[in-house]
Amino acid sequence: MREPVSVRTFGICCLAGYAALNFYARGGSAISAEALAVEKKAAAVVGSGERSQALFGEKAAAISQLRALANDCSEPGWDGNEASAIGPLAVSMAERLVRALPDGLPLPEFAPEPDGCISMDWIQSRNRLFSISVGNNHRLAYAWVDGADRGHAVAGFDGERAPRRVIEGIREILDHGNATIGSR
Amino acid sequence: MATLPSGLDELIAGEEQLARFLTQSSQFNSKMAKPAAFLPSLKDRETSVSRHGSEPAGSLWAIGLQAAGDRKLYGAAIFKARAVTAAQLEVLADEPPPRHAAIRGWPWIERDPESQKAAQKERAAAIASEAALFLR
Repeated sequence: MREPVSVRTFGICCLAGYAALNFYARGGSAISAEALAVEKKAAAVVGSGERSQALFGEKAAAISQLRALANDCSEPGWDGNEASAIGPLAVSMAERLVRALPDGLPLPEFAPEPDGCISMDWIQSRNRLFSISVGNNHRLAYAWVDGADRGHAVAGFDGERAPRRVIEGIREILDHGNATIGSR
Repeated sequence: MATLPSGLDELIAGEEQLARFLTQSSQFNSKMAKPAAFLPSLKDRETSVSRHGSEPAGSLWAIGLQAAGDRKLYGAAIFKARAVTAAQLEVLADEPPPRHAAIRGWPWIERDPESQKAAQKERAAAIASEAALFLR
């Protein structure tokens, strides 16, 4: 009977494999065409892995901030008035949206809203901002200010792909310069 | 024109300054108070503000501390009353407490909460874009 593979064993195998890839990727003493091709492929895999790690790290940090905020507002009346608590479903939807944001798009800042929604804000300046409300369902309320122009709309979110209209709107605001995300 | 117990006129002029107190660190960043800070409460469907500018600071923070109660007071967003009307809302005197006013007229669409929220966010963002941030 086969022995089950433990998580630890699996992790060690992955690490060993990645280390081997790294060896090839950094360039060894390869001289044949095949060896050079392997080296090139290994470099591509390692580079991709490092980019994913960097992106995941940023998103993981954003999700940590999001959870901390939700924790601070997990009881009704967190605003000293009668604000609704931020519930686990809203947190889950917001996390999904963060994960679904395309690579390279700056990550948002978060703020609680009186109805228990989570506001995700991209703030370029006082006159250029994009704000999404994430609540307990698959509909995202959003609004923007772009100089003298402003507006609002609602978009569906399937939990996996960020709505195209929303992403285009954020990019339009941010294209005017560098976002101040995480500038607190 | 009627005068309130605070000595202020009942009618709020467009150039009058208003303060929205900030009691959550996530309500602002280094540049501005975020739109969420201006959204109305669910209970009374209005946003509380004080009829006070950034000066004198001692008086501003005294009012803010009273409004904050047990919560920490981080600062205030200061904006002119005309920013409220430009956002298609109204601000009305609402004493007591002294100098209290309320931003009213927020869109309320019972059959479509997300559309309601989007419309409210646009107005809140419009006010936020006109508000200056003052931290304690």
